[in-house]
Amino acid sequence: MSNATANPSVSDEKDKKGETMSGRVIVITSGKGGVGKTTTNANIGTALARAGKKVVMIDTDLGLRNLDLLLGLENRIVYTIVDVVEERCKLKQALVKDKKNPNLCLLAAAQTRDKTAVTEEQLKSICEELKKDFDFILVDCPAGIEQGFQNAVAGASEAIVVTTPEMSAVRDADRIIGLLESKEEIKSYRLLLNRVRPNLIKSNDMMSVDDVVDILSAQLIGIIPEDTGIITSTNKGEPIVNDEKSLAGQAYNNVARRIIGEDVPFLNLEEGKGIVARVKKFFSNLVGKEK
Amino acid sequence: MKDIFADFYNKVLGFFRQSEKKENAKDVACNRLRVVLMQDRTNLTPELMERMRKELIELLSRYVEMDKEALELNFEQEGDQMALMLSIPVLRAREESEIEKELAALDAEKAKKEEEAAAEEDVEKREETSQDGETQEEIIEIVEAEPVDKAETSEGKPSDEEKVVIEEEIVISEPENEKEPKIEITD
Repeated sequence: MSNATANPSVSDEKDKKGETMSGRVIVITSGKGGVGKTTTNANIGTALARAGKKVVMIDTDLGLRNLDLLLGLENRIVYTIVDVVEERCKLKQALVKDKKNPNLCLLAAAQTRDKTAVTEEQLKSICEELKKDFDFILVDCPAGIEQGFQNAVAGASEAIVVTTPEMSAVRDADRIIGLLESKEEIKSYRLLLNRVRPNLIKSNDMMSVDDVVDILSAQLIGIIPEDTGIITSTNKGEPIVNDEKSLAGQAYNNVARRIIGEDVPFLNLEEGKGIVARVKKFFSNLVGKEK
Repeated sequence: MKDIFADFYNKVLGFFRQSEKKENAKDVACNRLRVVLMQDRTNLTPELMERMRKELIELLSRYVEMDKEALELNFEQEGDQMALMLSIPVLRAREESEIEKELAALDAEKAKKEEEAAAEEDVEKREETSQDGETQEEIIEIVEAEPVDKAETSEGKPSDEEKVVIEEEIVISEPENEKEPKIEITD
């Protein structure tokens, strides 16, 4: 029956015994730019670390690195992934530890180099190396489907496809899903729907969560509401999951718990607060029943 | 009294329904996306679509006289199924004798080509099997028992341009088998 124990507890046991861990490598990708890959990466990583997991994030967006900014680590980067690959430092030296959370590390991208500075094989071996010491390796993928994407996906066995309820983002996500399905190493992928605006969905001006899930026929791992708090948290370099009051923060925390294997229900974003929302809901129910 | 309330209720409902009838941005987005994704997923390039269009015109104009310029060929979503919609404005139905004449000419051409193909295939088979003495007899039997024309036409290839069609089948065979697009002829 020992086979039945869930993944996380297995790795915990191994940790206690001092054996090597075997972390999960998850690539976070989207195809389209600007849908919130890096924000998702920073928040899921931070949430997992807060849950006591050992997490390392790899920024593979060479030349356009941003993950360091979102985590507030931009001033502490000494070595980058290119330095590791070109053997100017050891892998462990290049890992930047988060000040607040020692469980969290970042392997930064080089800002002065382009996507060809690292190969698929090199990324694969870096992931293999990191698997021994971490529970989760989150790979931040650059936008597009070119070499940068191929590199980021190379070492991963799971994927999170980030999209928004907009046509162009959904179309690109469909393309990415097609590419992920053709990759043998990717065992599973799940969809994260970002920047959901319940009001626009309610007025039928935006595709709903169900619409997107239906069109892409993919399994959902999270629904993140549009939240102005994301902007301020980015400005401060502090992921929004640290703010327990924020709805987007809660949603990201839930995603992290689902990754660990917990069964967490999706937040009900349509539920408004206050009397006005309740009256509206009452009437919309009335009209709905008559249809 | 009850009637008045019912009337009022219906009027209010009618108001809501009116506003619902307008096609909303969400539905437009969903429908447009579905069509675009279908095209993305089929791997049919505009060139291939144009070729399919031309071949269909060629095939269909044997039976009906139609407006070749106005023929429309599009992918559409019908519920869960993907449909290949073909809209052909028919100018005139052809005379039976006219059709038969054309088909006879076509059959003659087909028979000629098949003879050539059969001869070629026979040679190929013999070459293949000559390495394996035991199976040689069997295969030749099959070739004889099942005339090549049956095998060729059973796959539903238009018969007059065999070589061209075979080429295209190789390119698009995968998505076609997967999605099983059905052809609907309107007008």
